[in-house]
Amino acid sequence: MNQTTSPSLATSTKGLDEHYDQSRKAQRQADLWLMSGAIMLGTLVLGPIGFPVFLRGLSLQVKAQKAGLTVRPVLVTLVGYLVAIDAALNSFGWAMDMIAHHSLMNRTILTMWGNMFDAGYFWHYNELWIGGASAPGEKAWVFALLPIVFSMRLAAAIGFLQMKRWGHQWMVVTCWFGVVAWVGYVANMTIFADVRYANVVFPVVGWWLYDIFYISPFLAIPYLHSVNREIFSDS
Amino acid sequence: MKNEQFINRQDLKRKRALIAFQILMYGYLLTMFLVQMYMYSVRDW
Amino acid sequence: MSEKSLNSDLPMGTNAVFANMHKWLQRGLMVCLTALVLEGALTMPLLAVWYGWPTLSFQEICSELQKIRFSDDSRECIYPYPLFGPAEGAGQTTAKDQWGVQPVPEYKRIGYRELITIRNARLAQ
Repeated sequence: MNQTTSPSLATSTKGLDEHYDQSRKAQRQADLWLMSGAIMLGTLVLGPIGFPVFLRGLSLQVKAQKAGLTVRPVLVTLVGYLVAIDAALNSFGWAMDMIAHHSLMNRTILTMWGNMFDAGYFWHYNELWIGGASAPGEKAWVFALLPIVFSMRLAAAIGFLQMKRWGHQWMVVTCWFGVVAWVGYVANMTIFADVRYANVVFPVVGWWLYDIFYISPFLAIPYLHSVNREIFSDS
Repeated sequence: MKNEQFINRQDLKRKRALIAFQILMYGYLLTMFLVQMYMYSVRDW
Repeated sequence: MSEKSLNSDLPMGTNAVFANMHKWLQRGLMVCLTALVLEGALTMPLLAVWYGWPTLSFQEICSELQKIRFSDDSRECIYPYPLFGPAEGAGQTTAKDQWGVQPVPEYKRIGYRELITIRNARLAQ
């Protein structure tokens, strides 16, 4: 870990090196589990496997912190992984809609989800020549947000978790993208609410309850703007 | 000392702005949710 | 600046002005993370059960949903779908909607495991 504020330890240099080695190892171990779990959770279908993997990583991180090792601040871990999972979930879902729209997996799972929560992913699904969602405006949002917002945000989260300065900077940029995305996407849903909600299993409340937890950019932004940026460095 | 005071004032302004941003965003989401609930109540969904 | 965070019990990167805000952000983030983790893990199994799995296979569920989507009982999910084939709904004429600047779909709502009864009723004919 590249950190500029070191804790005050009354030990020899050798002890300090050992401590940092141990800390680095512990952080790396936790991250291997956290990242694998997060990516699997982001694919939705591998979710049941990703969950215990992720929890193991989280327990390793907390254990390392309790053991007094110099690991990443909890908030950085939380913001980083939340944004990564959020980006991965959106990316994978929309990559399926953009490219793999005729796979059996996508045609079943996404249209089931659409039929239950948001008929933007059910109504006339796979009727447009480009396939995927046919609801007004939806495909445009998929095209714009997938390569620019979510892919970039995932990359930024990785850099951020590595405590890199560029990671912090690009988290700021891509989370503000997320604000634009939320405002526009919800407005589009509201304008064409009949298409999105008529005859779905759980209209309105279903979608909001499901999707409200994707507000990670709104929680990340205050942290990103108020954290001491010195703890992120590119050296 | 002077620097510390200045940084604190800047931080306080920053905090206020960030809180205002939160209120704005959640207010927008709540508004859209209420609009959709209203639509749900009057239309035949 | 860094002195402030060292002297107190504040986590690295947080100073006194933002300590309370960071505490609440952490709580909010934990809630969102837990919810996303649970949603990621449970969405597929719970959706599958609602729509009739394992009584119906994925291909059968896909076909049933397509029949409802386009209001046409003759539609089936072709699996595997030809790689560069046309969109499966291209040129369809059977879907029921009230068209206008804000279209309104007219398919029926699907209840818990209702796809199974729908399918059985249709096969019994």
